[in-house]
Amino acid sequence: MQRDEIPPGTLYLLILRTLARSGELHGYEIANSIEQLSEDVLQVEEGSLYPALQRMLIKGWVTAKWGTTAGNRRARYYKLTAAGRKQLEVEVSQFERVMGAIARVIQTA
Amino acid sequence: MLLRRRQFDADLEEEMRLHVDLRAQQQAQAGLSPDDARHAATRRFGNTTRVKERSHESWGWRWLEYLLQDIGYGLRAMMRTKGITIVALLSLALGIGANTAIFSLLDAILLRPLPVEKPEELVLFGNGNPVGSTGGLPHGSTHLFSYPFYREISQKNEVFSGVTAIDSIEFAAQGTVAGGGREMMHCDLVSGTYFSVLGLRPVLGRLLADSDDQAPGSGPVAVISYGWWKRRFATDPSVIGKTVQFGTKGYTIVGVAPPEFFGTSVGQSPDFWIPLSMEKEVSPGWNGLNDKFFQSLYLIARLKPGVTTEQATANVNLLFKQILRNEYVGPQPSQKELTRIAQARIELTSAARGLSQLRGRFTLPLEILMTIAGLVLLIACANIANLLLARGTVRSREIAVRMAIGASRSRMVLQLLTESFLLALVGAGLGVALAWRAGEMLLRMATDPMQPAIVAVAPDLRVLLFTLMLTCFTTLLFGMVPALRATRLNLTSSLKEGRGTTSAPSRISLARTLIVSQIAISLILLVAAGLFVRSLVKLTSVDTGFDKQNVLVFQLDEYAAGFEQDARLGSLLQQIEERVQSVPGVKAASFSFFTFNQGEWSEDVTLQGIPRTPENSHEVLNNVVGTGFFSTMGLPVIAGRTFNAHDIASAPKVAVINETMAQKFFPGGSAVGHRYGFGDDPAHSGDIEIIGVVKNAKYEALQEKPQPAAYFVYAQRVQYLNNFEVRYEGDSRPMISAVRRALAEVNPNVPILGISTLAEQVDESTSNQRLIAQLSAFFGSLAVLLVCIGIYGLMSYAVARRTNEIGVRMALGAGRSNVLWLVMREILILTSIGLAIGVPLALAGSQMVSKLLYGLSPWDPVSLLAAIGMLVGIGVLAGYLPARRASMVDPTVALRYE
Repeated sequence: MQRDEIPPGTLYLLILRTLARSGELHGYEIANSIEQLSEDVLQVEEGSLYPALQRMLIKGWVTAKWGTTAGNRRARYYKLTAAGRKQLEVEVSQFERVMGAIARVIQTA
Repeated sequence: MLLRRRQFDADLEEEMRLHVDLRAQQQAQAGLSPDDARHAATRRFGNTTRVKERSHESWGWRWLEYLLQDIGYGLRAMMRTKGITIVALLSLALGIGANTAIFSLLDAILLRPLPVEKPEELVLFGNGNPVGSTGGLPHGSTHLFSYPFYREISQKNEVFSGVTAIDSIEFAAQGTVAGGGREMMHCDLVSGTYFSVLGLRPVLGRLLADSDDQAPGSGPVAVISYGWWKRRFATDPSVIGKTVQFGTKGYTIVGVAPPEFFGTSVGQSPDFWIPLSMEKEVSPGWNGLNDKFFQSLYLIARLKPGVTTEQATANVNLLFKQILRNEYVGPQPSQKELTRIAQARIELTSAARGLSQLRGRFTLPLEILMTIAGLVLLIACANIANLLLARGTVRSREIAVRMAIGASRSRMVLQLLTESFLLALVGAGLGVALAWRAGEMLLRMATDPMQPAIVAVAPDLRVLLFTLMLTCFTTLLFGMVPALRATRLNLTSSLKEGRGTTSAPSRISLARTLIVSQIAISLILLVAAGLFVRSLVKLTSVDTGFDKQNVLVFQLDEYAAGFEQDARLGSLLQQIEERVQSVPGVKAASFSFFTFNQGEWSEDVTLQGIPRTPENSHEVLNNVVGTGFFSTMGLPVIAGRTFNAHDIASAPKVAVINETMAQKFFPGGSAVGHRYGFGDDPAHSGDIEIIGVVKNAKYEALQEKPQPAAYFVYAQRVQYLNNFEVRYEGDSRPMISAVRRALAEVNPNVPILGISTLAEQVDESTSNQRLIAQLSAFFGSLAVLLVCIGIYGLMSYAVARRTNEIGVRMALGAGRSNVLWLVMREILILTSIGLAIGVPLALAGSQMVSKLLYGLSPWDPVSLLAAIGMLVGIGVLAGYLPARRASMVDPTVALRYE
């Protein structure tokens, strides 16, 4: 099955959207959730999630707290903040603008 | 920070481990074998180290990590090349230490602002240099003011928020505290506005107020300094209300000044301050509260916000002339008085850094020493740069490997600079430790060792900041070029050969340039050292005129014993002289106003029957002495007689003059029998009869030219004479106690303020020159030592690099002496170039220090030739060992050498 790298710059968008849908998730769940929702087309280079999550913590889009998984392991759960919700809107509208533009370019070609 | 990072790493690792574990679990459920599942999961996760690094980066910790890494590398590199490190650290410690020590002194005396509120608003009337009192109508630039003038200007000016007056004399005498024993005390007389103008708050009690400074004798209160409170009273708060007996009066302590405040004169720290209203009680001769012609005060004022110094100067001078015109002269002033008033002016100068008598004395010497210390540091930097260049060669392989696997050049340069900075920092640490004691030692060398330390020189924050800046600067100076050089590699050849052969020639030529500049700078330092040492030798071998050996000088305070300046005082002095003369071993004893280097009392004189000429219009230095003075000082009589027991108050007034006065004022004939008088009034020209002529002596300084001088006997001119000289034979210690006992027998209440010898007084007068000579000689030798190390290092390195070439030369028939010459020739060439550059610089430098030289032209050939000879000698010496090693090379070994 063909798997595609996610387009550059969209990792934040995907993480924000995933968290907005599901509430609190840890890193592995975020990666899994992105792949499943995209019906396994989008593949996140899983390691790159973590630096991205750190940057989002600094920017205040997400908060993190330690919790326990179903398998009784310690895990860091990430949750969207109000700022993160706002950022999601920004990222979505920006993405739609860009995609719309690209689509127009492709169709008129 | 470090702890947080460890926690951060642990958290991140746990998070990633969980991720990989869960992924592996999922893969295993999908049917993979446990091993394959783990591999797949790890593959999908990517490079964990990279993830960690990028996570750190996002927190902005990258520079910190690099820094920590670099410090680690640096420490390891320092440990690996111990020899280089030790030499570099020593050079740096001495270089930075010397600069810190001199700077701490320079800062304390020349730069530091007064620890008061907004010091930049304070202005001083005049330059604050004269000490004492002046009489007469002010004319020209005026520096000392009277108490009535202080009162008027405070009321009438429109530019100051406050004015304060400080007596130009710091009073020192023995006193008692709360009825205890006698002890030495220093006190400043200040106006009641002193502390409020400076904007100070007490740590205890209250400070002086204007109400303490009203009618004469109305304010018997004292504010003590924090230093004295700590030293004398162990910061006991019950000090308030205690009484300090000083002079004839007791003063109630009302408060303690803040800790950092030492007074307004840098170099003097009075134990307490008392109001000017007590002037007469402190010193009976100092009675100027109602006398507008008794001008003995410094004035300091605080500018109102927004007022410039120019506006203030205009306002003050306008008022000055008005006050002079209205109150200092009669309604019909003479033309002379009007001219004087027209010329009288006050220049306002900044008082932000306080007043200082030290400043005038030490500015030039300190600036010269700072320059010298700076040059030594430059030489040290050149040396370390050379060492690092050599080490860069050794490390070129390491650097090449690191750059080949992806380290950027800037990263490498940064790493090498970090290493250099580390080196400089450790060196600076050692240097500051060195400077801590050195600063105090310098001060002791420069000033009277009997006095308490006059300024605080312990490195404070300002000094440490200076050192830190110096350290950064030196790092860049000695580290930048080697770092750039070391990273400019041809990677392939470096890796292949392991020795930086491609860039080495330019590296050697850079090292040569450094050596040449070191030699040039050393020459400057050696010439300066030579000049100062030779100047000191000349100065100390000057004939003082008197015999300074075997004379004790006792400082006595007759005023404290309650004697007025009348016949009783005269007979006390005489009794003391007679009693001490009878002590076995004492050859002669006498009181005098001055001994040597204690100030002057000079007067214009008019000769009877001889018209004024430019030759005899010179002012005459005066001294008041006992009858035994000339034999005590060992001053031979040339004509006439000296004073004897018949020269009493009722007898005709007589004087003994010196050779210069006899020759200048009475050329061609004998001076004995002539008469003269003080001032320019012919009516008084017969007041004094000359009875004898004595040999010339030095009076104020060893450098002075022969000056006309006259002596009077105290029996005819009773006054307090603080110096009591005793010429003795044998050991000085038992003599001191014998004289002490004799003094106590005559009058136990006359305190001895100090005991020294005449020889010490003479030495003391050259302490400045001694300090400069010793330090410049020390720095000169330091420079030579550094250059020696530098040349030796460079030549050893050059020889090691050329072993192969030397082997070839020898195989082709070159003799050992040829090889020796080959190396020595290079050293001689380098030295010659260095000297050629250094000589004009040294000559220019000498010109700048000419003010501090005595009996020498700044272009002193002896100093110059000695310096050149010394550097050539040092060059040959330092180069000979490597050269000999080169000539001992075994050609067969050398040819196989790599």
